[in-house]
Amino acid sequence: MMRIAAAILSAGMALSATAVSAQEWPSKTIKLVVPYAPGGYTDSVARITARYLEKELGQTVIVDNRAGGGGIVGSDLVAKSPGDGYTLCICSVGAISVAPVAQTTSYDPVKSFKPVSVVSTIPQTVIVNPSLPINTMQDLVAYAKANPGKLSYGSSGAGGLMHYSVQLFDARNGTKMTHVPFKGGSPATAAVVSGEVNLSFTNMTDALPQMEASKVRALAVTSAKRNEFAPQLPTVSETVTPGYSVESWNGVMAPASTPDPIIAKLSDVLKKMAADPEVKKSMAVVGASTVFTTPDEYKAQIAAEVEQWRELLKEIAEKKN
Amino acid sequence: MTDVFALLGHGFAVAATPINLFFCLVGAICGTLIGVLPGLGPVATISLLLPATYALSPVSAIIMLAGIYYGAQYGGSTTAILVNIPGESTSVVTAIDGYKMAQQGRASEALAIAAIGSFIAGCIGTVVIALLGPPLALMTQQFASPDYFSLMVLGLVSAVVLANGSAFHAIAMIFLGLLLGMVGMDLNTGEARMTFGLVELSDGINFVALVMGLFGVAEVISNLEGASVRIVNQMRIGTIWPSFKALRGAWGAVLRGTALGTLFGILPGGGATIASFSAYALEKRVAKDRSRFGNGAIEGVAGPESANNAAAQTSFVPLLTMGIPTSATMALMVGALTLHGIAPGPMIISRQPDLFWGLIASMFLGNAMLVIINLPMIGIWVRLLAVPYRLLYLAIVVICAIGVYSVNNSSFDVYMTVGFSLLGYVLRKLDAEPAPLLMGFVLGPMVEENFRRSLITSHGDPMIFLQRPISLALLLVSVALLISIMMPAVRQRRVEVFQE
Repeated sequence: MMRIAAAILSAGMALSATAVSAQEWPSKTIKLVVPYAPGGYTDSVARITARYLEKELGQTVIVDNRAGGGGIVGSDLVAKSPGDGYTLCICSVGAISVAPVAQTTSYDPVKSFKPVSVVSTIPQTVIVNPSLPINTMQDLVAYAKANPGKLSYGSSGAGGLMHYSVQLFDARNGTKMTHVPFKGGSPATAAVVSGEVNLSFTNMTDALPQMEASKVRALAVTSAKRNEFAPQLPTVSETVTPGYSVESWNGVMAPASTPDPIIAKLSDVLKKMAADPEVKKSMAVVGASTVFTTPDEYKAQIAAEVEQWRELLKEIAEKKN
Repeated sequence: MTDVFALLGHGFAVAATPINLFFCLVGAICGTLIGVLPGLGPVATISLLLPATYALSPVSAIIMLAGIYYGAQYGGSTTAILVNIPGESTSVVTAIDGYKMAQQGRASEALAIAAIGSFIAGCIGTVVIALLGPPLALMTQQFASPDYFSLMVLGLVSAVVLANGSAFHAIAMIFLGLLLGMVGMDLNTGEARMTFGLVELSDGINFVALVMGLFGVAEVISNLEGASVRIVNQMRIGTIWPSFKALRGAWGAVLRGTALGTLFGILPGGGATIASFSAYALEKRVAKDRSRFGNGAIEGVAGPESANNAAAQTSFVPLLTMGIPTSATMALMVGALTLHGIAPGPMIISRQPDLFWGLIASMFLGNAMLVIINLPMIGIWVRLLAVPYRLLYLAIVVICAIGVYSVNNSSFDVYMTVGFSLLGYVLRKLDAEPAPLLMGFVLGPMVEENFRRSLITSHGDPMIFLQRPISLALLLVSVALLISIMMPAVRQRRVEVFQE
C-alpha cells in the first residue's frame, strides 16, 4: 500500500516537475539556430521569428548562424542539443526533407526532431530565358519532348531542392533536361538571365526582380496553389503536371527530447505570430508567405515529403538500370 | 555625360547629409578596425551589424555597410605588412614584399603607399562605376563558364610568376593548393570528397583557417624559434611619408594596379583576388630588376593594394545594376537591402536613384575619410612593432583564434588552424612559399566548377574553350605568359651551352 502510494506520489511529482519546467520556460536566453549564412533568405525569416518570440516570451532570443553542408551542420547541431527548449532551429526543407534522402546525415528527419510549426513558405518559379520560343508550361513540355537533353537547367547544386524539383518534373512528364549545377540559387538565376542555361526552377525571391525587368520569362509556380505575390502565374499542377507540388519552407523545430508542454506553448505563440499583421508585412518583404501548422500536421508533412523524394530517387535509379 | 554629373551631384546631396556622413564615417572606422584585426573579415562584421541597421534608412544602412567593406580593404594590408598575416585573399600578395619592407625598417613607407594607392584606386574605381556602370554590367553578362575557366587558368599561370624562389617549388605549392581546394562536397554529384566523414568539411576547408595557420601562426612559430627577438623597426616614426623617389617608382604600379582591379573587380567570383595576384605578377614582369621582388619592392605593395581597392569598388557594379551578388559580402548586401524592402535587381537604378547615386557619392567621401584616418594611424601601427615580441605574439595568436572562430562560430575551424600552422612551419623549413598554395586553393574549385559546367553545356565538346572569343583571348595570354616565364631559363641554358 505504502509502495503504491509512494509510486503514485513520485509519479505525480515527476509530472508536476515537467509541468513546472514548462510553466517556468523560458527562464533564460533561447538560442535560435539558423543552419545558413547571415543575410540570406532563411536568416531573414529567423530574425523576424526571433523578434516576435522575444516579445511574446519575454526572454532574449539570439540568432546563431551555423552555416555549412547546405544546412546539415546546423540541423545536426540542434538534433544533438539537449531538449530543454533553449535550443531551437529554424530548419528548412533542404536539410530536413531532401538531404537525408539524397545523402547520409547523422540525424533522422522524423525521429531526431520535434517539429513545432512551419512559419513561412515560398514557391519556386519556373523561369526561362526570353529568347526561347517557350511561353507556357505546355510549350516547355512540348519543346523538351521534341529536343531531349537539349534544354539545360541551372540549380543551386546537386541534391538541392532546385535540382530535385526539376527531376520530379522530368519524371512526371517523361522529359529529359540537362542539369547544370551552380554554387547557390542566385548564380543559377543569373545564368538564366545571361542565357548560359535555358531555364531554372528558382526561388521566388530571386526570380521576382528579374521578372519585373523582363530579363526572364516566368511560366508558373511550383506550389499547389497560386502565389499571392505573382497571382497571374498558374501552377505547374494546373497546367501540365496534376498533383505536382514543391514548396520551400522554413519552420521551427526542437530536439526530439524536448518535453511536449514546451512544444505546446511554443505552438501557441507561433499560431499567434502567423496572424500578426506586422510579421506578415515583414515576411512579405522577403517574398515569404506567413504560415502556421500544428506539430502533428508539420510532422506528417515532413514524412510525406521524405517519402516523395525517396520514391523519386528509386524511380530514377530503376530507369538507369 | 552632363546627365551623369547632375545625378552624381544629386548623389552628393544625399551622401553629404549629416546622418549619412556620420554612418559613412562609422563604416570606414569599423572597416579599418576589422581589417587590422587578423581573421575578422567584412563578412563576419557585416553580418554582426546587419540587425543593427534595421533602425536606419536603407540609404544610410548600405552606405555604412559599404564603408565597412572597402574600409576593410584599407585595413587588411596593415597586418599583412606588419606581421605577415593577410586578412583576406586579396592581401596575400601584399604580404610578400610588404612584410620584407617592414623587416627592413620601411614599414611606414609600405603602409603609406598602401593607403595612398588604395585612395587613388578607390576614387578611379568609383568614377568608373558612375560613368560606365551599366555598360560594364552588360559586358560581364558576356562572360560564361568557359571564359571564367580561361580566366582562372590565367590566374594559375600568374601564380608561378609570384614565386621568388624556385619555379619547381611554386608549381608544387600550386598543386598542393589545388588538392586542398578539392576537399568538400562535389557540386555536380553531391558526393563528399576527402572529408573523412566530417560534416564540418563538407563545404571545404575554411579559407581563413588556412591563411591564419599557414601565414600567421606559422610565422609566430618560426619567429620564436630564432632566439633573438625580431628586428624592431628602427625608422623614426615621424616620417610617415614615403620619400619622393619611392613615390615616383610606385606611381606606375598604382595606375596599373587600378586598371587591373577595376576590370577584374566587376567579374563575379574571385575577381578581386585575381586582380591583386595579377597586379603583382604584372609589376614583376615590367620591372627592370626583378630580383628586388620578394626583397621589399615598393611596387609589390602598391600594385596589388591599388588593385584590390579598385576591385572592392567595382564589385558593386553587378549588384547595383543587375542584382547579382559576386561574393559573400555582396550577398550580405543583398540581404541588407531585402531586409529594408528593396529587392536588388535590374530596376534598382531607376527606382532607387537616391540609393544608387548616394552610395556612389559616399564612396568618394568614404575613401577620402579613410586616407585621412589611415595616414596618421601609421605612426601608431609602426609603434606596435616596438612592443616586446613575447607580448605581441600572444596577442597575434589570440586574435587569430577569435578571427577564425568568428567566421562560422565553429571550434573545428580553430583546430584546423592548429594543423595548418604545423604545415606552414614545415613548408617554411622546406623553403616553399605559401602564396602560390593559396592561389591554387582559391582558384582550384573555380577552375573545376567552370570547366565541368562548360563541358556540360557543350555536351562534352572541349572546343568550346577555343570557340568563344573571350576564352580564346585569355588562353592565348596565358600561353604567352607561360612562354615568357620559360624564356629566361631557356636563354640561360643556351648561354651555358655556348660557353661550353
